[in-house]
Amino acid sequence: MSEPAQEQIDRVLAALADPTRRRMVDLLREGPMRAGDLAAAFEISGPAVSRHLRVLRENALIEEEEAGDDRRLRVYRLRAAPFADLQAWLEEVAAFWTSQLTAFKAHAEGKTRKRKKK
Amino acid sequence: MSASVTVAITLEVEPEEAFRLFTEEVDQWWQRGPKFRFRPKLNGTMRFEPGEGGRLVEIYDEAKGELYEAGRILVWEPGRRLVFEWRGPNYREGQVTEVDIRFKANDTGTRILLEHRGWETLPPDHPARHGLDSRAFLTMQGGWWEEQLVALKALA
Repeated sequence: MSEPAQEQIDRVLAALADPTRRRMVDLLREGPMRAGDLAAAFEISGPAVSRHLRVLRENALIEEEEAGDDRRLRVYRLRAAPFADLQAWLEEVAAFWTSQLTAFKAHAEGKTRKRKKK
Repeated sequence: MSASVTVAITLEVEPEEAFRLFTEEVDQWWQRGPKFRFRPKLNGTMRFEPGEGGRLVEIYDEAKGELYEAGRILVWEPGRRLVFEWRGPNYREGQVTEVDIRFKANDTGTRILLEHRGWETLPPDHPARHGLDSRAFLTMQGGWWEEQLVALKALA
């Protein structure tokens, strides 16, 4: 994987390391939401909600639609691409370790069989 | 969602023996080539230094102390569990992940469960960390940086 792609993955993971942001993502998974409705689902201050949304937006996990002058009417939606990239990357890591454990199994069982024959 | 990957395999070897072969003979089974080795061109030797506080290293010249340190061993329970830090060759400074391997006896011999986790550990000044409690992160990273500084001083 190229380094910029890896960096993007790291940013996505860091953004998702926070439990509030993970819950926001869970809510948005069910469909786009207004900022006001999203804020109402959390018992944290408005500025705190805005800060979390900004981190998600800056890391390209969500995008917003302008809806007039009222910030509370802005609609947020999840972007699919970062999640697809994350999934592909996790699968790469899984393939690496599966391949390694398969090599280890062959080595370990080969050793044990040889010893049993002696 | 949690950023972790878990894979499992079953082998016809008892857990104690599986643990021993996994660690003592790591260089024999760990695959070669750029996909698997840290610095494949240097044709190094992989080694687990036994015990907690030991390291997983790829050694290029033992006499000169030339090696790649993948990370410290955090848990060393022969026949049961092995946890070590993992720093890939293209990780940024301070970034470290964790590999947790459990060896469980079953009818066949051993079921190995490997979990790789912790990619969300980015340096505290990284913009993506905004809004996170960085204290826990710093505590975790502290030991690593201390060692780096000591190592650098020793070289100077």
